[in-house]
Amino acid sequence: MRTLRLLRRRRALLNCAPISQDHLTDRSMRAAVPREDGSDEFLNQQNFDRALAEVVRLVPIPPESAEWFSEKDAIRAPRWTWRKIVLNPAVLAISIALLVIAGVFAFHLVGQLNDFPGSATARKLLTVAGSTRSVMLDPVSAEAGTLSDLFFMKHGLEHYDVPDEFADFQTIGCRVFDDDESQRIAQIWVGEKRMQFFLFPAERDSKTGAVLTFPGWRYVHQEGWVGAVTEHNGVCFMAVLRGREKDLEPYLSGPKQ
Amino acid sequence: MLGDSRKAQEVFNTTLREAAVRAVQGELPKEPFWLFREARWRCLEASKTDLQPEALEMDEQDISPQAASQIKQLEPAQLAIWISAAPDPQRTALALFYLDEFDYLEILDIAELKLSTLSRCLAQGRRQLQAWLDAKHTGAPKV
Repeated sequence: MRTLRLLRRRRALLNCAPISQDHLTDRSMRAAVPREDGSDEFLNQQNFDRALAEVVRLVPIPPESAEWFSEKDAIRAPRWTWRKIVLNPAVLAISIALLVIAGVFAFHLVGQLNDFPGSATARKLLTVAGSTRSVMLDPVSAEAGTLSDLFFMKHGLEHYDVPDEFADFQTIGCRVFDDDESQRIAQIWVGEKRMQFFLFPAERDSKTGAVLTFPGWRYVHQEGWVGAVTEHNGVCFMAVLRGREKDLEPYLSGPKQ
Repeated sequence: MLGDSRKAQEVFNTTLREAAVRAVQGELPKEPFWLFREARWRCLEASKTDLQPEALEMDEQDISPQAASQIKQLEPAQLAIWISAAPDPQRTALALFYLDEFDYLEILDIAELKLSTLSRCLAQGRRQLQAWLDAKHTGAPKV
């Protein structure tokens, strides 16, 4: 049925085939004409049309009418304005698609620029911080800097040191737990702005086992929580609070990124 | 379209005057073929008062390989009259296709026809013209 309809349409197009090949501007016509180009019937039709057109050109035009069409084309070709081009559905669709691709690419690029070794663990711990209640920690009232001895003596955790910037803060409680990758995590709760500290093993190269270091402090964000992470002696320290980077900035010293 | 140069000139002048008035009023339509559409309607309007061609069955013949040489012997005025005597929309289709050499999309736009109608008008026009040419050359008019 469809084939029959297509054949009928092709026949209809061929009946309307332009006299001059220069007028093959339409795509359907350009597709239909070459298929029939060699047939006797179509050849006769074309010769018939050309001969007729030649005679038609000899039809006298009154001089007063002829002067209107002396040199100029009576039909002005449709002009493509910028507005028309921009509002063209195809152009519009391509532009939107390109914008979406660019957006996704930019999102990934920014995400990668903010990444650092251990950023995935840091983000997971921000979720832990959000769900932790103070009663879940062992009550400890001491300066945060002194807890590294406790972690070493009680849990065998070496270099779990709180950096100098946060060492003087008074603690409320602390605990040590294993995360889903069986990494030993130390969590400290301090009174200052209900801040929490996390100490966890730095990420290592999967082939060589070497610690992947990074300089200074790096920020991570998750659901309204912000963390500032630094690495020292193969252990990452993260200070966490509910808020924004500018809330943590006053506590940090040295290069921040 | 009209087969009468005086009437054609009149329609031409009226159409141009209309275009000039619209241009002055800043109401010139943006569509490229409105002038031709306007002229076509004026032609149809002008020919309403004329004697209308009888609706008789015209002979038709397949286009012959000799058609081109037969056509070359035609007087341009004869052809113009033959086209103007055809019933509409065939007359419009033939005039726009042969006299103005519009492409089919332009004709569909100007004459507000469907592709199937335009195709039928042109194919039928060719076959009828061929029959007329054959009759002319054998000297026995069949039309």
